[in-house]
Amino acid sequence: MRCERAIDGRPVLRFTSGLEIGLGNLAAVAVLTVAAVVLTTLSLTVGFADTRVTDLAAAWHDGQDYELQFALLNVRLPRIVLGFMAGWCLALTGAMLQSLSQNPLADPGLLGLSQGSMVTILLLLLFVPSAPLGLIPVAAVVGGLAVVALLVWLMGGSTDGNSGLTLLLMGIAVDTMLSSVSSILILYAPPEISFAVSAWLAGSLFQASWGSIAALVPWFTLSLPAILLLGRAMRCYDLGDDTAMALGVPVTWSKPLILFVAVLLTSAAVTAVGPLVFLGVMAPHLAGFLSRSAGRARLVLSALTGGLLVVAADTLVRATTSDLALPLGLSLTLIGVPLFILTLRLRALATLRSE
Amino acid sequence: MVLCAALLAEFCLGATTIPVSVVADALLSFDPDNYDHYVVLYQRLPRVLIALHAGALMACGGLVLQGLTRNPLASPTTMGINAGAMLFVLAGAYFLNLGIDGRGAAALLGGMFGFATCLGVARLAGLVQDQGGLALILSGALTSMLLFGIANAILLTDPTRRTDFLGWVSGNINHVYADQLFRIWWIGLAALALLCVLARPLTLIMLGTDKAASAGVNVRWVRCLALLAVVLAASSSVAVCGPLGFVGLVVPHIVRPFAGADLTRSLPGAALVGATACLLADLIARHAFLPAVVHTGLVLDLVGGVVFALIVRRYYLTAGRRASG
Repeated sequence: MRCERAIDGRPVLRFTSGLEIGLGNLAAVAVLTVAAVVLTTLSLTVGFADTRVTDLAAAWHDGQDYELQFALLNVRLPRIVLGFMAGWCLALTGAMLQSLSQNPLADPGLLGLSQGSMVTILLLLLFVPSAPLGLIPVAAVVGGLAVVALLVWLMGGSTDGNSGLTLLLMGIAVDTMLSSVSSILILYAPPEISFAVSAWLAGSLFQASWGSIAALVPWFTLSLPAILLLGRAMRCYDLGDDTAMALGVPVTWSKPLILFVAVLLTSAAVTAVGPLVFLGVMAPHLAGFLSRSAGRARLVLSALTGGLLVVAADTLVRATTSDLALPLGLSLTLIGVPLFILTLRLRALATLRSE
Repeated sequence: MVLCAALLAEFCLGATTIPVSVVADALLSFDPDNYDHYVVLYQRLPRVLIALHAGALMACGGLVLQGLTRNPLASPTTMGINAGAMLFVLAGAYFLNLGIDGRGAAALLGGMFGFATCLGVARLAGLVQDQGGLALILSGALTSMLLFGIANAILLTDPTRRTDFLGWVSGNINHVYADQLFRIWWIGLAALALLCVLARPLTLIMLGTDKAASAGVNVRWVRCLALLAVVLAASSSVAVCGPLGFVGLVVPHIVRPFAGADLTRSLPGAALVGATACLLADLIARHAFLPAVVHTGLVLDLVGGVVFALIVRRYYLTAGRRASG
């Protein structure tokens, strides 16, 4: 393992096997991890019961203050963990979709994948109430895949002359349709279900518990090998399908595989916390500002940023508006739209400069 | 014809079906002791009037916007006008305790704000020259999302008043809003009249600004006035029954093949079709999902989303293929 300079002049770590890791990317991962740990500690202290960091340690060791311990272990910690994992999955999906469609604005929420999963879950809950809970993730995946198929059909495989805006508008249209379908479906639900479901439809961490975390953990772990195996192909897809094929990526089966993994991760996250829009766009771009990267490094950085963003948004909401129960999806939209517009602006500047 | 049939159906159908003769009786010689007469006059008539008002205004607004921006996707909904008006009305009611009279003004301000934001975002994104104006629609969608988000946050601040506005926010034709209609209807009518007066010069502008100018039309003024009238129309309709989405988007596409590009003919057509569409949507909303009664806005969103996708497919994808191939 030696420290060298890559072809573009940036310092990299080169392993004997030929693997290169950018020092900048390593530093970014380190910064993000530290930030995540700090934020988690901070987030644990914010809430109805006022606690200080020193109290935390004390509570951990003594086990005297049961009330505090309950608040920490069964309310706040699950929230943070679940938020981080959901953010991780969604941001990862966003990064994958962006590479695959070569569209820097793709996002599982904006394209309607999340809403597709919600609709099928609702259908399952309403019409087959006796179905085992294990079927819910399956229903979510089916819904997500159906939306992907619908989008592919609607786009008709045409090459996009409008720098990806067409796909985005199409996605927004599908999203509008599906969200009104799910609002209609809720009307049919019995009151006790519909109340719980509407909180979840808005995207929230209120129902976080160790049980819901356990349901998400397998998918979360699945994303790790997915990053390792699929990350390299991403770098090629960034250059376009034809180039990717020329570089030796088996496009015919690797593209559907990546799409499938993306849908799988989205629907897992949706099942856990409801649809979170804009996260998939925001996280990769923010990660890109932190450190330029491609392939695996981009996936890892985006995912870390995504998790961090969700925890940060949740902490912020809890700290500033303690009496106002702002759903997470809403606060992410409020933060996300300005950032999205900023991204558009930066893109426009970049194209101006290149012309 | 369809409008008449829909009108009749709207009057007669309901929780209790009322025969046509009774409806006619109720309208012509009202008998306060008769329950059926009461239902017709105080519940169904307001609904009909609101649907006519909202549908006609939204459809005309969409028609003019689509003509002026040369964009098949333009409409009060997709350009942020509705969301802006909704947000301002809501904010006015929550923070300034505006009464019904203040609502109209708040809606107008909001509509202008929403429209300006949409244009500003499109400009900021630096994509104004973008072919086909997709960027404009995208920035409209983003603006609407943001404004709806803020509106939802405002709604959450006060759970007790939330139920008052919950139906209104998603767009609902309901007889409860009748008193708002009676205060505000003249704004919408004025806007409509303004558009009719401007119909001839507007048609010329759509042929091309140079041609219009050479025909003696003051392009700048006519454009500004027409946009103002559209914002007025859309926001007055929002002030009454909330943001009814997508009438403004869909109806012009139905009208155009029949009435052609001439606005003097297509404006009344759009008004009629828009009103019919709203009546039908209201009927569907109330009867198709029994026992539940859906908000009219939801039905319109559902239909509108489908049409939106089809328009994108037809105008942008096929055109792109033709240009590249």
